[in-house]
Amino acid sequence: MSAPPVPAVKVSGLRKSFRVAGTVIEAVSGIELTVPAGEMFGLLGPNGAGKTTTLRILTTLLPADAGSALVAGADVLRAPALVRQRIGYVGQLGGADKEGTGRENLMLTGRLYGLSAADAKRRCAELLAVFDLDTLADRAVRTYSGGQRRRLEVALGIMHRPQVLFLDEPTTGLDPQNRANLWEQLRLLREGGTSIFLTTHYLDEADQLCDRVAIVDHGRVIALGSPDSLKQRYSGDTIAVTSEASPAVLDEVARSLADDPSIAALAVEDGTIRVTARDATQAMAAVFGALASRGVPTRAASVARPSLDDVFLRETGRSLRDAGTPALGIAAEVAA
Amino acid sequence: MTSGFGAFGVQTGLFFQRKLFETLRQPVWIITGLTTPVLYLALFAPLLRSLAGGPAFPPGQVLDVFVPGIMVLIAFGAGMGAGWPIIWELDSGVIERFRVTPASRLALLLGTVLRDIVMFVVPGVVVVAVGGAFGYHVHWGGLVLLFVLLALLTAACSATSSALGLKLKQIGSLAAVVTGAQLPLTLLAGILLPLSLGPTWLRVLGHINPMYYAVQAARALAAGTVASGTVGVGFLVTAAIAGLALWWGTRAYQRAMA
Repeated sequence: MSAPPVPAVKVSGLRKSFRVAGTVIEAVSGIELTVPAGEMFGLLGPNGAGKTTTLRILTTLLPADAGSALVAGADVLRAPALVRQRIGYVGQLGGADKEGTGRENLMLTGRLYGLSAADAKRRCAELLAVFDLDTLADRAVRTYSGGQRRRLEVALGIMHRPQVLFLDEPTTGLDPQNRANLWEQLRLLREGGTSIFLTTHYLDEADQLCDRVAIVDHGRVIALGSPDSLKQRYSGDTIAVTSEASPAVLDEVARSLADDPSIAALAVEDGTIRVTARDATQAMAAVFGALASRGVPTRAASVARPSLDDVFLRETGRSLRDAGTPALGIAAEVAA
Repeated sequence: MTSGFGAFGVQTGLFFQRKLFETLRQPVWIITGLTTPVLYLALFAPLLRSLAGGPAFPPGQVLDVFVPGIMVLIAFGAGMGAGWPIIWELDSGVIERFRVTPASRLALLLGTVLRDIVMFVVPGVVVVAVGGAFGYHVHWGGLVLLFVLLALLTAACSATSSALGLKLKQIGSLAAVVTGAQLPLTLLAGILLPLSLGPTWLRVLGHINPMYYAVQAARALAAGTVASGTVGVGFLVTAAIAGLALWWGTRAYQRAMA
């Protein structure tokens, strides 16, 4: 299937409130997003940030209070049937029928999407092979391991070759090996032209897997862009260069670099030049150049990449690891 | 792509098959589903024999009054159990996953309803066969209509239980509501003992209970009376309740949140 020209997701002014124990909590407060077709997009944020609520609105499970959402070109509120035909969904709960076999689950899902019995059978065999579930196909899902079940659930989500696949916290509870395996499957899917929209509260998942990330907090997008550009924009790479230069030479080098456009900040400590770079490659070249032109040999150099947590910290004043109000957040996302 | 109605039929069939498998995987339910009604016949009917000839039981017709009562009880039980598995399905995300597919919500509900109708018809046939062997007078025309009427009642109960499961979301709450409603509903319908035995106030209360009309019609049909006002009212009331319950259940599926 060729990638459709319409964006995978186009969201504007999205709002949703819940009443929990008498108080109104705005889980989503004006989210704006456009995800082009073919992208692997991540919604990163702490528990209760509104990620799951947003995903539920986009997958037609929950009506928004205000705003508009187009998914694969169809309006979530006005044409939910069209949206459902075009998307796949892998929820947090999974949703495989545990008493049924893997094959039964896949066949039923395929048929529900309108595949003929023969087509469903073919697609089922194909996915069982791709997700390495062949030998488990006729066993009850309740006997599967966590990783096996997750693979089946992703297979269920793409049984009908959707244009956009939504995944809610897809790797939560998986061990590192199964996690890496799932990432690989998702990358292959994206290469095949499927747009992928996932939520995660794992920094490394957003960072390594996603083309672009929206960092959300309190129902708002606080930063949006590719992981690299976000980190660059909010806090550049940190370069540390240790050389044999004397303090006087180091001061001279520091002064000469002060106006370099690739450098945001520079400090000298214990014979080491520390640079916060706007552009790591250029900044590195500038530092090396300044040292080399004075005939100073370099002893050690390192580049520390900022993390998305630095971005979150910068925007909210909290670390993503500590943020979130799990009890309240989950209650708000569960209630309705 | 299949046309709307064809797709709806296919989806209903798929959900029905799925629910039927769910039951077949639990042989315990099938066994108790079949033995309980037979036990009623074996253990309860003898108690009534001494009442034969009394005000509610014309001579020699104890089973004629009692068998349709048991049938209503089976229909009620077959339908009211629908909510429990639905709560498990909510908890495991199965329903959420179905709700993201284009499948019709009514088809989703009907899968359960049709399975429950089977769960009424099979033991119902057993009861008629066993009852017949012990002296229950089978009136064929009335019997067929009796099954149709009670299939409607099963549908009403099944859809109601499904909607309750989807709304309450918790086994404990569902159990409280269903068992709480069961006693007044069945007692005030005159299922086991005809309400005509009771005082006026009890009979007045019975008339508020929609199931009362189904029971009255069931007794008339079991006795072979087809063309009567009682039967007509029974069908009207039961069909209306079933329609309302199906509408409510479909709506509950549209809005279900887990």
